[in-house]
Amino acid sequence: MNIIGLVFGAMFGFVLAAGRLHDYDTIHATLRLESFYVFGLMGLAIGISAPLLWLLERRQLATPYGGVLSLARSKVERHHVYGGALFGAGWSIAGTCPAPALAMLASGAGYGAIAVVGLFIGLMARDQQVQRSHSVILEGDGERSSLPMTKTLGAR
Amino acid sequence: MGVLPDQLPWWIAGPLLGLLVVALFTISNQPLGASGAYIQTVKTIRRDTDSVSWRAFYFVGIFLGGGLATILGPGIELRRGYSALHAAGWSEATIMIVILLGAIVMGYGARVAGGCTSGHGICGTAQRSPASWAATATFMAAAVAVTFLLTSFTGLGDVVPAVAK
Repeated sequence: MNIIGLVFGAMFGFVLAAGRLHDYDTIHATLRLESFYVFGLMGLAIGISAPLLWLLERRQLATPYGGVLSLARSKVERHHVYGGALFGAGWSIAGTCPAPALAMLASGAGYGAIAVVGLFIGLMARDQQVQRSHSVILEGDGERSSLPMTKTLGAR
Repeated sequence: MGVLPDQLPWWIAGPLLGLLVVALFTISNQPLGASGAYIQTVKTIRRDTDSVSWRAFYFVGIFLGGGLATILGPGIELRRGYSALHAAGWSEATIMIVILLGAIVMGYGARVAGGCTSGHGICGTAQRSPASWAATATFMAAAVAVTFLLTSFTGLGDVVPAVAK
């Protein structure tokens, strides 16, 4: 699975850099509503994957590494909204997000390192905070990490 | 090397990302989120018992893939990045502090929300998760609002980004 992770990371980083999503101008042109690039890209990514995932789940696809395909559909809670608001503010200010920041650094932009360090600080700060309180769900529907993952899902 | 264009059109890059999401689900029943990979990279380095090492490999992969696409495209050019902020006349120290603080807020918020642009924005929404749609709508709206404030009050509005079509 480690090799699969590496290969998928590489393909993901490749597409992000090829689309210049690691470029401050690409992000900000869209966030200024002067360009459709990021909206169009995310919309098509969702538009392609959502129906295929729906179909594969309906056919109860058995995956080689993670059991029967099961999609996550958690209910909306407050933390999704205020966490999202904080994330969006930071996304605009730093002009990059977690995966593109890595591609940005790899493309030779030195300040990408500052963004990556800041991301580590922010993510781990929240992680530590929650480890102490033991109450909040950390992994959203896009961030499951255990394998097999039958026990970690929250509400369906 | 110029094998790749400077920027793939969104109608090519978007479907490629969508197919990657489907492929990873097909192989491992796992979403393609990036913020969780940061956490798992730290845990893997610390050798925590609950660490998930493939997410650390995934993290390294994003870096390598980004480098490869750059080499095949415009080529790796050592620079600071953030030329828009330099053009807006921000001082070097201001730029570095703003990027750091912005990234900290972004990381913290991603962990509170349970995902980022890839985790909630693409993988969660593609699973038709109400939580992910709510988080995505919120971060999009917040990012557009904060960008409006930045361009209105910081001199950034006078700098024209190299607009992607």
